[in-house]
Amino acid sequence: MITLAAPGPRLRAALPMLVLAGLMAALGLAVPGFASPATLLLVLADTATLFVLAAGLSFVIVIGSIDLGVTATASLAGVVTALLLPGWGGWAFPVALAAGLLAGTVTGLVHVGLRVPSFIASLAAGGVVGGLTLWLSDAQAVTIGQTDRPWLDWVAGETAGLPHIIVVAAGALLLGWGLQRLTPLGRFGLAIGASEPATVASGVRVARYKVLAFALSGLFAALAGIMLAARLTSGSPTGASELLLPSIAAVIVGGTAITGGTGGVARTAVGALTVSVARLGMTFLGVDAFAQQILFGVVLIAAVAITTDRASVVVTK
Amino acid sequence: MTTTAGKGRASARLWTSVPWRALAPVVVLAALCIALGLAADNFATAGNFARIATSAAVPAVLATGVTLVILMGGIDLSVEGAMAVAAVVAALVLVAAPGALGAVAAAFAALAAGAALGAVSGAIHVGLRAPSFMVTLGTWFIGLGLAVWLVGGGTVSVRDSELRVLALVRLGGLPLSVWVALGTVLIAWVLQSRTRLGRALFAVGGGEDLAAQSGVPVGRVKVAAFALAGLCYGLGAVLAVAQLGQGNAEIGTGRLFAAVSAAVVGGTSLLGGHGGVLHSLVGVLVVVVLSNGMILLGVPPYLQQAVQGLLIIIAVAVSLDRRGQGLVK
Amino acid sequence: MLTAENLRKSYAGVEALRGVSFEVRPGEVVGLVGENGAGKSTLMRLLAGTQRPSGGRILRDGQPVSLASPRDANAMGIAMVFQEQSLILNLSVAENLFLGQDGEFVRHGLIDRRALRRAALHQLAKVGLDIDPDRRAGELSFAQRQMVELAKALALEDRVDRDLVILLDEPTSVLEQAEIDLLFSRVRDLQSRASFVFVSHRLDEVLAISDRVYVMRDGAVVAEAPASAVTPADLHQMMVGRGVRTEYYLESRQEPPRSDVALAVRGLGQQGAFRDVSFDLHRGEVLGLAGVIGSGREALIRVLFGFERPDAGGMEVEGQAYAPRSPADAVARGLGFVPSERRTEGLVMTLSLGANITLARIREAMTPWGLSRSKEQALARDWISRLGIRTPSADTPCRNLSGGNQQKVVLAKWRTAGSRVLILDHPTRGVDVGAKEEVFRLIRDLCDEGVAILLVADTLEETIGLSHRVLVMRDGAISAELPAPAGGKPEQVRIVEHMV
Repeated sequence: MITLAAPGPRLRAALPMLVLAGLMAALGLAVPGFASPATLLLVLADTATLFVLAAGLSFVIVIGSIDLGVTATASLAGVVTALLLPGWGGWAFPVALAAGLLAGTVTGLVHVGLRVPSFIASLAAGGVVGGLTLWLSDAQAVTIGQTDRPWLDWVAGETAGLPHIIVVAAGALLLGWGLQRLTPLGRFGLAIGASEPATVASGVRVARYKVLAFALSGLFAALAGIMLAARLTSGSPTGASELLLPSIAAVIVGGTAITGGTGGVARTAVGALTVSVARLGMTFLGVDAFAQQILFGVVLIAAVAITTDRASVVVTK
Repeated sequence: MTTTAGKGRASARLWTSVPWRALAPVVVLAALCIALGLAADNFATAGNFARIATSAAVPAVLATGVTLVILMGGIDLSVEGAMAVAAVVAALVLVAAPGALGAVAAAFAALAAGAALGAVSGAIHVGLRAPSFMVTLGTWFIGLGLAVWLVGGGTVSVRDSELRVLALVRLGGLPLSVWVALGTVLIAWVLQSRTRLGRALFAVGGGEDLAAQSGVPVGRVKVAAFALAGLCYGLGAVLAVAQLGQGNAEIGTGRLFAAVSAAVVGGTSLLGGHGGVLHSLVGVLVVVVLSNGMILLGVPPYLQQAVQGLLIIIAVAVSLDRRGQGLVK
Repeated sequence: MLTAENLRKSYAGVEALRGVSFEVRPGEVVGLVGENGAGKSTLMRLLAGTQRPSGGRILRDGQPVSLASPRDANAMGIAMVFQEQSLILNLSVAENLFLGQDGEFVRHGLIDRRALRRAALHQLAKVGLDIDPDRRAGELSFAQRQMVELAKALALEDRVDRDLVILLDEPTSVLEQAEIDLLFSRVRDLQSRASFVFVSHRLDEVLAISDRVYVMRDGAVVAEAPASAVTPADLHQMMVGRGVRTEYYLESRQEPPRSDVALAVRGLGQQGAFRDVSFDLHRGEVLGLAGVIGSGREALIRVLFGFERPDAGGMEVEGQAYAPRSPADAVARGLGFVPSERRTEGLVMTLSLGANITLARIREAMTPWGLSRSKEQALARDWISRLGIRTPSADTPCRNLSGGNQQKVVLAKWRTAGSRVLILDHPTRGVDVGAKEEVFRLIRDLCDEGVAILLVADTLEETIGLSHRVLVMRDGAISAELPAPAGGKPEQVRIVEHMV
């Protein structure tokens, strides 16, 4: 973001891009077929769901909070979609999105209104949402029947070789970028994350914008849940839970500091691609899935450490 | 100083200094028990109370660990990861070395594994000045990954091992695991209230910068607290392996939630400095009695998680002092 | 003996101490006076080890010492009783007294609580404080906490093998008269064990307790005298230094205020902070608020801007009832606030100058197609030239600007928001001397445009020089209202007599 560009931060801002480019180049050299358009499309399609989830999360992280409930919300949306498609047809999607929006808003209200720290508010709200989802689905993955599959075409289908899911993710990127760049929400989000007291003292209705950030996080999470359900043709009550760590990692690796005040959706796109390419690379190299989880934990901690401006933080809890 | 005058004041103080607010969780527990006793015929039976005690054993040990960290104003989300590693390590040792000696070795190996993961969390948190929830979120998944990797994703059955003594042998009508849990809480209570480390936890929770200014080695205290918490998760894993007769990476699933809700429901402040392991014991009983009651009343099991989530929100919201101007992130 | 030689300290380019030499002899009480921003607190912080000097050295009994932390200072027998309290409120008094030193009470791995209690009683007896050491610090009154801090400082004598120097930073600002008397009698009793440095705004107190007095001004020591040889009026003259230079405050530009009332306050009160405050603030007027710390003026301005709610009374803005529930309500009604904590409340330091200028009214940067960077930058460039802000570009993060230029950005923010009532809280704090004059000029410009200004200034001189009228607050109530027209400015002593 141009506003933040000063000589030092400029390098820090470019770092995620360099990492991504380096990873892609390395993979391109190591794996002969990697640089083909078909493979790249595959990578993009694979990244789409993770990106949408992380894009919503980045609204919350920019304001200096965290939403640990996004994956529960995504799972809820997937289950709602799968349950409603047979009876309601296409109306299942807006209902699922509304459910996500509601879950995010409630989390935000608990955090802001009751002054509960966001990690515990979202953990608890995620627990509530997860419990409801298990109850709705009877703890089973809800399969989307053959007759309802055409409804999923806008996500799961492809046109002229271009998977629709990439278009959906691009739409989410555009929406998120527009919100951050062109509306007061984006500016106030950065200001709140960088200095909440100064933003309050400037007369910005901070509580409102914080709740809005959580609401958007819920909305994007729901979209991610629908995408996941469409790809798997079933809504699983715990299907998205494995995406929590990668999605936080995507935001942080993209260059948004966990302390807030910098970054945004566009950087998260870079971060999500980095996570995705790294995972792909590890699979090519034969690193098994469990070790990948370990590596993500490590990467997450390292990225947090790198993006945090420690000089400005006196006490870390 | 005349000691008699001091004693007179002390006894007069006893009444006024009763922390009524801190007793609220006990009142909630009592009210819950009475309500359930009236609503469900089979609640107030010796058998059911033993069942409650048995299912409270593991959460009590875990909540004790997480409380030590929360007292400092931090949080430890790595409960499930640490348990997974410890459980898998215990199970592997049991398979490799059967018999009583093997059981002892398995228990110690599990404790060591838990403590090591905790120490790593603490060291990263202190060394890199990264927020504890972020670091422990990382170590949570590192732990899970390690556990799955160690057993290749499967389950190690230790149905016939000597370790199961903890769950099968009863003393005074209760399994040994309950007594182990009680002992752990007691030791942690002594540690919290009577040792330098314990008091330092409160000092860090009450004012980290001021404590550092007065020469409290804040970094070392934090690492020690995370390591001790990890030790507790290791013990929780041992008890869980004994109860279930198997070790796998999923052994801790859902445990974080119960542990954190117990701590906050018991009245330990997430801001640090207030509460303690006895509070958390009461919190554990509230959580366990509630889910026991829900089972007796036929509430769908999956809604229990939702109820626990609500419980956390309510408990934190009630306990936080909202008059303060402080930021909530 | 504690000696400071040519101590220097600068913050972000602004010199807070410019070569201070200072000496504390054994058994002596040394008074330290000066106006806000004269450098007293900075000197204290260097001696207490909470900050490092940028130049010069500190000697203990003739040996140069490095005080990198309060622990280092403690080891040298120097302890500070902090103005902002440093007890940990959830710990007991005994635990606070021996925080970080509780190793000596450990028996078999456990803390011997009776020994700890005994030792605490011993320390408390030194300051004559009769409280149960097992009580939590949070349950004590401010005065009791102050005594506990003093006892904590004195406990050093059992650990350090040299005479103590105890720094008392405005210890009386939170105390009642009886408590102040008690503190002073303790200090006298303890003079055989320690020497004291006593910082206060109340000059009579300083002279009553001290053997010797240092006067500081603009980061330097300007006078040193035996307390018996000077009067409060002398001290005051030395603190202020120059005779009143009217043109420093652009008095010739001071026009009479307009007749219409911008902000009316009636019987306003907040429990424990201030009560029954009434005044009218006119357009084009600077109304100065004078008062010592704890007089209620800080709480008053926070209520006026909607950070907190009043318990009694009411307000009107431009004739309409005004009851803000948040700063956002205040801004919506045309108020603006220039906070004393510029780095945390005034500006979002990592955001650009342009982003900060539009923060209070973002619609100035909006177009039908959304937020426009170019519109924002054009607006910012306009303010840069109008206010003479020195910055590489409109895109520069505010943290890269100097204090004076940052303050101009804050003013530009409120002028962009169209504020008609401005509350200025210490507007020249942390601002260079030259930049101060520019801030004064901007204040005069605002008046010319009809903006109403409520001023809480760093010094009395500034308050008098800039204001049309001065309201004096004491103990939460308005104790006097003095007109300060151009050419008829009141004497400082006339205001001081209503302050204390």
